[in-house]
Amino acid sequence: MKEGKYPRARLDYLTREFGDEVLVYDRERNVGHCLNATAAAAWKLCDGKKSTSELANILTQRLATPVDESVVLLAVEQLSKARLLVESEKPVRRTSRREAIRTIGIAGAIALPLVTSLVAPTPARAASCLANGRPCVSNAQCCSGHCGVSSGHCGA
Amino acid sequence: MKKLDRLGWAEGMRVYTYGVHAGVRVSTAGMLPQISGLLPPGWKNSRRATIQRLYSLVVAQSSRRAGVRPLHILYADSDRISRDTELDQVLAALERDLHRYVAEVSPDMTFLHAGVVGWKGRAILLPGRSLSGKTTLVREMLRLGATYYSDEFAVVDDSGKVHPFPRPLGIREDSTYAQTNYTAENLGATSGVKPLPLGAVVICKYKAGAQWKPAPLSHGQGALELMANSVAVRNDPRQTLGRIQKLVRSAVFVRGTRGEACESAASILNLLSAGNRQEKE
Repeated sequence: MKEGKYPRARLDYLTREFGDEVLVYDRERNVGHCLNATAAAAWKLCDGKKSTSELANILTQRLATPVDESVVLLAVEQLSKARLLVESEKPVRRTSRREAIRTIGIAGAIALPLVTSLVAPTPARAASCLANGRPCVSNAQCCSGHCGVSSGHCGA
Repeated sequence: MKKLDRLGWAEGMRVYTYGVHAGVRVSTAGMLPQISGLLPPGWKNSRRATIQRLYSLVVAQSSRRAGVRPLHILYADSDRISRDTELDQVLAALERDLHRYVAEVSPDMTFLHAGVVGWKGRAILLPGRSLSGKTTLVREMLRLGATYYSDEFAVVDDSGKVHPFPRPLGIREDSTYAQTNYTAENLGATSGVKPLPLGAVVICKYKAGAQWKPAPLSHGQGALELMANSVAVRNDPRQTLGRIQKLVRSAVFVRGTRGEACESAASILNLLSAGNRQEKE
């Protein structure tokens, strides 16, 4: 579903706060995301009604430090890539980390936005698995994820 | 399942562990003492009539026909999960599957795949998958005086404390993948009994010759790493993340590449000592 032209956070995710950071869990894709303080602050403000320059102004006031629009663009791009925003009609304007650093200066007062994502494991993956060469009857038992049909042993 | 039920079963047992009721039945009498040793630590006999998972172990009888190798077969409910000529391999599959099942469905606890030791009243977690070197590092920390909690799971309760899961350490002593089991006491250490608050989480991977220079990790990043090692997060993300949130409140997180365990183990224990000092100051 495509939405308006301004970024809007998806609200159907499970979230937990860790200080200024936010952990977001996507139950559909079974992926967890950690938003650092800057990305989290930007994400919380994305209500579909504010442009990136307006978001930059609000963040400047909230964080009591200048926040350039390029920082917000970088945040929006990362949030969009992690599917944490409702898909927008207007494509996300791309900016690079390098460009953002150049704009705010290497010693910028705020951290650049960062979204780190990890896939949640299946129960079998999260528990002990069998090394190559060990007997198996299903792929899920093997660390390699492959149980040889004819050999009945885990393999690469 | 009905076909399995019709086979002759010599004996069986029902067990209760971490809020889960399970059963085991075997086709040959006299096997239950051996099976009891494979059950999750702290298990009790269950009196409940209905159980959540039933293991059926068909022990092969020796064949009179030349060239026929008798196979031992293990079922979990109606699924065949192991079949081997070596009974030990099938029993190892029983242990592994039961532990994983309990970790997956336990309503009482959240299970994170991690090695755990106790040090100065706090737990140190070493999250990681199989073959990541957790056991080697745990063993080295035990040698330095740490208390054994687990080389498999960090078991976290609702208040965010870490409970012991002291199954014997499976140590690989040569280049093959065969493991020998040792209790902490066999290795001259003691096993923890009391639940502990978390002190540190160390995310490391092994690389021969690497020097241990860990970098700090934020609470959010650390929590994400724990999520990626939790057994039941797909089934119940709300409860898993809630418990992780309580678990990490006052923990230190570091990540790095380690070389030999003997070099990094002392540094990891010192990390917590330094953390404790800072807290007191």
